[in-house]
Amino acid sequence: MAASPLMRDVFIETFTEAARRNPNLIFISADFGAKALDVVREELPRQFLHPGIAEQSMVDIGAGLAMEGKQVFLYAMGPFISARCYEQIKSLLVTMNLPITLLGVGVGLGYDHATMTHFVLEDLACMRALPGMEILTPCDGESTREMARFAIEDPALRYIRLDRQPFPSVYGGRFAESLQNGVATVAAGEGLAIVTSGNFVHQAMQAREILRQEGIDLGVIDLFRIKPMNHKAVLESLAPYSRLITLEEQCLDGGFGSALLECLSDQGRSVAVKRLGVPGLYRAQNGNRAHLHQLYGISLDDTLCAAREAAKQV
Amino acid sequence: MDTPTEPLLARSQWLRKALFEMAMGPKKGHIPSSFSMVEILVTLYFGGVARHFQGEPDHPDRDRIFVSKGHAGMAQYPIFAELGYFPREELDRFTQPEGLLGMYPDFRVPGIEGVSGSLGHGVGIGAGIAHAAKLDGKSHRAFAILGDGECYEGSVWESALFAAHHCLDNLVVVVDRNQLCIMGKTEELLALGDLRGKWESFGWHALSVDGHSYPELLEAFSHIGRTHGKPLVIIANTVKGKGISFMELAHLWHNRMPNKAQMAQARAELERNPIS
Repeated sequence: MAASPLMRDVFIETFTEAARRNPNLIFISADFGAKALDVVREELPRQFLHPGIAEQSMVDIGAGLAMEGKQVFLYAMGPFISARCYEQIKSLLVTMNLPITLLGVGVGLGYDHATMTHFVLEDLACMRALPGMEILTPCDGESTREMARFAIEDPALRYIRLDRQPFPSVYGGRFAESLQNGVATVAAGEGLAIVTSGNFVHQAMQAREILRQEGIDLGVIDLFRIKPMNHKAVLESLAPYSRLITLEEQCLDGGFGSALLECLSDQGRSVAVKRLGVPGLYRAQNGNRAHLHQLYGISLDDTLCAAREAAKQV
Repeated sequence: MDTPTEPLLARSQWLRKALFEMAMGPKKGHIPSSFSMVEILVTLYFGGVARHFQGEPDHPDRDRIFVSKGHAGMAQYPIFAELGYFPREELDRFTQPEGLLGMYPDFRVPGIEGVSGSLGHGVGIGAGIAHAAKLDGKSHRAFAILGDGECYEGSVWESALFAAHHCLDNLVVVVDRNQLCIMGKTEELLALGDLRGKWESFGWHALSVDGHSYPELLEAFSHIGRTHGKPLVIIANTVKGKGISFMELAHLWHNRMPNKAQMAQARAELERNPIS
């Protein structure tokens, strides 16, 4: 079986196919590469720009291009496409509702050894606060490809969060039908479900397999579009469950679980929710991503513990 | 220069008076920052420099003029009314809830290219517009008017590198060097130093002129298209508040409003054109 592709390569390959036919598509990278990007640089040099390691300028230039009708994709490491140029995003892209795609790579703790400056634990909270910003998080190559196609075919102001690592296929060809819903049931369970996205869909599935041996049937819900949240589809997906766990590689304040709680509260759905996420502090320690998950209390073991505890209450 | 400057001199007085009365209704606006760039705008719009089309603010061949020092974006409004972009009565509704025109430029106002107010975006936006024009083989140009205090923003210089690297000779930046920011003189607070030299070292065709002199401004703009592939920057040395003596180079007047006596004095002074 072929190795799983990197999300960034999948996205850029999809972009490249479209860009060959449409010279209006422009890709700008603030000094962040990808194997697939080399093809764009060689084959479509008029559609690629390198603005220097200067994300703020990149957003300004992208805004100018978009104001002239170009379809612009801005690409950088997750921490720098979100927080570093937040003011530019807010003041130009949001206020003028410019149809630009922001692509961040390495969200969450993807840059494990790079530590705190490269951790992206607050991008959901800050991007979620921006009116009109659509936020998507794929969890495998297929969902990445479909989101790329969507971003190309239906231009809008959108932040797409790519993991640094490759992940095996989750959807087996079924993702396209879920795209508009913004949420998908990856595995149906009994009474208890984990709501998550991105890399943690895979951790949730691992937990599901382990707990099955213990007689716990854990559902796994991929809430891949956190904004705008499709309240109707979310409530329908969660209807079978009396207890929920949210699992996120984000600070708990204002992040993924917060967004779901807001939806449940606004919609008048009363359900017990346990949030697993990064507590409100930055800590760095040598070690890989799994090691950091232990440090922050969001490891597979932590997930299993929370699920076992919740299952008792179902 | 071939362009006669007499009509432009009359425009100077007209625009200052129009701006003053526009601001005095609601007692809102940034008069000194607007007054320092009156001659820059008049040269662009009425001096035969920028391409624009009467009554057609969205004409595809228009030059894109972006006031990056957005607090002074109001200075364009009387000009837009004159160009038939919206009824003159809108000037009387400046900042009013029922009015079209706000204190800061909104892209929904005919003639305004983009939202402005937060500093440091104009060079990047202008570079994006200019680069798109090059890609599409179009002949319109991008003009960005910056404040000198705005040049503290790092993104100005990031985008300056980009524009020079991509040989955007269809991009023109004018720095309104009116010497003041909110808290005082730039050279006392944090020296900007030799701005012309700084832009030049970033690869720009850089000129320094008297920003209230039509002959000098016209000569500077005549360099457009003759910069050997370089973007053009004009450091326009101006006086913040030019035309109202007590506001000139007085940083506390940045957004202060005159009292009755001061209003009368200002009106009297504006009857004498400060530019000749």
